[in-house]
Amino acid sequence: MTLQDLIFKLSEYWGGHGCVIQQPLDIEVGAGTMSPETFLRVLGPEPWNVAYVQPSRRPADGRFGENPNRLFKHHQFQVILKPAPDDIQQVYLQSLEACGIDLRAHDIRFEEDNWESPTLGAWGIGWQVLFDGLEITQFTYFQQAGGIELAPISVELTYGLERLAMVLQRVDNVFDLVWGAGVKYREARWRDEVEQSKYAFGQVEGLSREAFAAFHRELFDRYYAFAESLLAGGLVIPAYEHCLKCSHLFNVLDACGGIGVTERTAYILRVRQLAVAIAQAYTQPATPTAPEPLPAAD
Amino acid sequence: MERELLLEIGCEELPASWLTPLAGQLAERLTARLREFRLASDAEAETHATPRRLAAVVPRIAERQSDHEELVSGPPAAAAFRDGQPTPAALGFARKYGVEVAALERVTTPKGEYLAYRARHRGRAAADILPDVLAATLRDLSFPKQMRWDAWIDDGRGELLFGRPIRWLLFLYGGRVVPFTIRRSPLAQSASVQDVRSGAVTHGHRLLAVSGRAGRAVKVRSFQDYKARLAEHFVILARRERQDRLVRELELHARRLGGRVHASAHASAGPLAEVADLVEYPSVVAGTYSAEFLQLPQEVLTTTMIHHQHYFPVVDDRGRLMPAFLAVTNIEVDNTRKIAVNSERVLTARLRDARFFWDADRATRLEDRLDRLDTVRFHRALGSYRDKARRLERLAATVAESLGAPEAAADAARAGLLAKTDLTTDMVREFTELQGTMGGIYAREQGEPDPVWRAIYHHYQPASIDADAEPSRESLGSAAAVWAAVSVADKLDSVVGLFGAGERPTGTRDPFAIRRQVQGVLKVLVDLPEVTGLTAAVDVGPLLAGAAAGYPDGTLAEFDEDLQTFVRDRVKYVFQQRGFRPEEIEAVLGATGVALAPLDLRHRLEALAGMRGSQDFAALAVLFKRVKNIAREVSPVPQPAYEARLDRSRLVEPAEQALLQAFDRVAPAMREAVAARHYRKAMAEAATLRPAVDRFFTEVFVMVEDAALRASRLMLMVSVRDLVLEVADISQLGGA
Repeated sequence: MTLQDLIFKLSEYWGGHGCVIQQPLDIEVGAGTMSPETFLRVLGPEPWNVAYVQPSRRPADGRFGENPNRLFKHHQFQVILKPAPDDIQQVYLQSLEACGIDLRAHDIRFEEDNWESPTLGAWGIGWQVLFDGLEITQFTYFQQAGGIELAPISVELTYGLERLAMVLQRVDNVFDLVWGAGVKYREARWRDEVEQSKYAFGQVEGLSREAFAAFHRELFDRYYAFAESLLAGGLVIPAYEHCLKCSHLFNVLDACGGIGVTERTAYILRVRQLAVAIAQAYTQPATPTAPEPLPAAD
Repeated sequence: MERELLLEIGCEELPASWLTPLAGQLAERLTARLREFRLASDAEAETHATPRRLAAVVPRIAERQSDHEELVSGPPAAAAFRDGQPTPAALGFARKYGVEVAALERVTTPKGEYLAYRARHRGRAAADILPDVLAATLRDLSFPKQMRWDAWIDDGRGELLFGRPIRWLLFLYGGRVVPFTIRRSPLAQSASVQDVRSGAVTHGHRLLAVSGRAGRAVKVRSFQDYKARLAEHFVILARRERQDRLVRELELHARRLGGRVHASAHASAGPLAEVADLVEYPSVVAGTYSAEFLQLPQEVLTTTMIHHQHYFPVVDDRGRLMPAFLAVTNIEVDNTRKIAVNSERVLTARLRDARFFWDADRATRLEDRLDRLDTVRFHRALGSYRDKARRLERLAATVAESLGAPEAAADAARAGLLAKTDLTTDMVREFTELQGTMGGIYAREQGEPDPVWRAIYHHYQPASIDADAEPSRESLGSAAAVWAAVSVADKLDSVVGLFGAGERPTGTRDPFAIRRQVQGVLKVLVDLPEVTGLTAAVDVGPLLAGAAAGYPDGTLAEFDEDLQTFVRDRVKYVFQQRGFRPEEIEAVLGATGVALAPLDLRHRLEALAGMRGSQDFAALAVLFKRVKNIAREVSPVPQPAYEARLDRSRLVEPAEQALLQAFDRVAPAMREAVAARHYRKAMAEAATLRPAVDRFFTEVFVMVEDAALRASRLMLMVSVRDLVLEVADISQLGGA
């Protein structure tokens, strides 16, 4: 099964289980959790079922295309079900079957692995799902997001698409995966990985590390201040998007060694404060609701 | 008629480390709640836990609650009757309980006589009470981390938090379902989120079934039936049986590979115990990895396999790692090859990472990593690990001297300086549990002398206060003294610094594990002769002061006393854990001028414990209480000058003479023994005072009118007291 077939299968499966199939967020994020489709939608009481692919950038994991398992940018298939159905573990296992995995020929286990995002003020209880010892999914019952206690509880399923595809295609190197249409992951992604890794670690010819870090630091501050203005102006979703910009810039600064230990904690705290304020604003009753369609004229 | 109670709480996968404690809690809480609800049983609750279920059976529970009487007090008897007629107060009280005044009783209390009504409560049927028992028991269970899952119970306490979501409840009394419902919150309630109602069914293994759909509901009638159904459906209920099966399978597969399972598997708290609680139906799959990885340090290989993958390493008959491992699965398959191939792939990826770190880390010498330590924070108020390395370099050397090993000082300084540098290595960043170990290995690789690298390797140890806690004398070899100095210095530095920074532990809160670090220091000092061959009885007080000297002025001053008390409490804890009685510990800590020197205290305690059988000593302990009480007339605390003031010319009574002679005989012998730390001998000497002291109290009255005589007798008591106190305050042992 190619990587793109895997995406089709999972989309079809979860679409068939009542999920809206969303498109990836068009902003740099480290995980599908950060998309407003997850972070904002798990807040408040309204039911919400959604699934989407999220390209996820982890600057510190960049390996210049040389490591068979680690990537600057990998792909997650993210599912949010709110409220979490009683039979969700079973439904999840069936999604693996839908991808062609014979559950009776492999060892599939749910091992404790709670999830926490200090920058988002979010945490949850759950497991990593191990497939013959390999983590293929993070399974989390969200308890808190943006510092807000959640009710009802959402379940988040995050499939590591590359990991899963490597299992299905039985390859040892991510770059040997078949993406689709006869194209290998190497052709689709390798150059991107090499250049993005250099970027992430601040290895830019003709540009000093200091200048690199200073630029990102300045961007962080400007986006941060702008996010606060947007929030003050009542534009919650744009404010959140600018908060995500800050989060990504922080990740770049962290990867390139542009921040010290003490400073690091301060950055995390600042992003969290913003995320918490945004989550609170989002759940205010003033949130505009979509207009009802006009009654049809006779 | 008594019937069986069977409960199974069906959960989503509970963490392995919780299972044994949860089974214990369930037995304890269910028994307590049954008693509280007056459902008598002469049988113990038997409980079990697997990742997906907590089960309890009580073989016999009474069909009804025991009847219950209660005496309700009413008005005082004096106010209940006037002229032989009941007053309105008495009538009102009787009416309230629907009886005649004549049916009331009289009770006498310390406050006087009262009218009282004896209420008799008839026990209710067990089936009506058991839902309350279950509700209370569910509330009682506590988890290291609990979650909200939109559930609540109708017991007036609202939301029900739990370790993981509950998906079914098997709840039978005498084979019949006891109705019980866990409700779901209105916000979540929907077609896919439903109340959990008790029933007569369990669920087998999620994926294994002989026939039909795996994990389907299976009807159950009794505990016997329940166990049998689970076994049929690939769930081994008893943890012992899971572990036994696991051991058998592991050994079988290891033999097939021509080796045996790595020793770590059999450690009591080791991976075996954990893995047995990760699965409901353990099977084993064997895999191999490329022999080229055997060039990696053995510690890296075993850590990768055991801690990261829960795989069991295989060793040959000489204990050397073979390029093979055993993975435990929760499933039984005909063809294990597919699982093995995937497991091999995962392990190989991890080992490849490890090899990358191994090669990259060795490119930088440890001393060149010191500057990078500047970016690793030790504590907000205490700077970086670079600062700590500087302090350790100096402190480890001075500790070596205090331990009576000045020849180890130079190596200790070197090891102290480098001990933390592995925090900047990629390997330790990835495998944090290898801190110290990797530092030692990298030090060895770069040619540091044996004592230096071994001291770094073991410097986080000891991890417990058990006498046989690692490292052993064998594993340390010639590095023993250097290790002791570095291990103690590291912990002292942290304890003093963190105390000064206001991180003193409170209650169960001890985020920096200060208690454990102090205990680590004490363990090293207590067992110094066995582990290092050194015999110095080192006082902790000056060691702490030495550690404080590494910090800016004044760090120790403000909390000195606090810290002393804290350390003293830890000393008591350590010796209690070693089996000494609290009163014995108080006794040796009460000896005159005794230092907080764990080894010296240990010798005194061992001597004291050795005297437990001596009748003279026990009797002396009782008499000593009197000696101390009388001596207090002069002064509550000993002073060397007192003995010199003993006026022998006045002590002419035979009993006085006898005690004086005994004292003169015992004193030099005892003092010689104390000076030589022969406490057993000293105590045996002290015990010989018993007949003379006894006789003195029988024949002599101390508090006579004659002031000079009284003073002489008092001074004799004081002298005896001060002499005995030099070895221990045995009045603590006196008992009655």
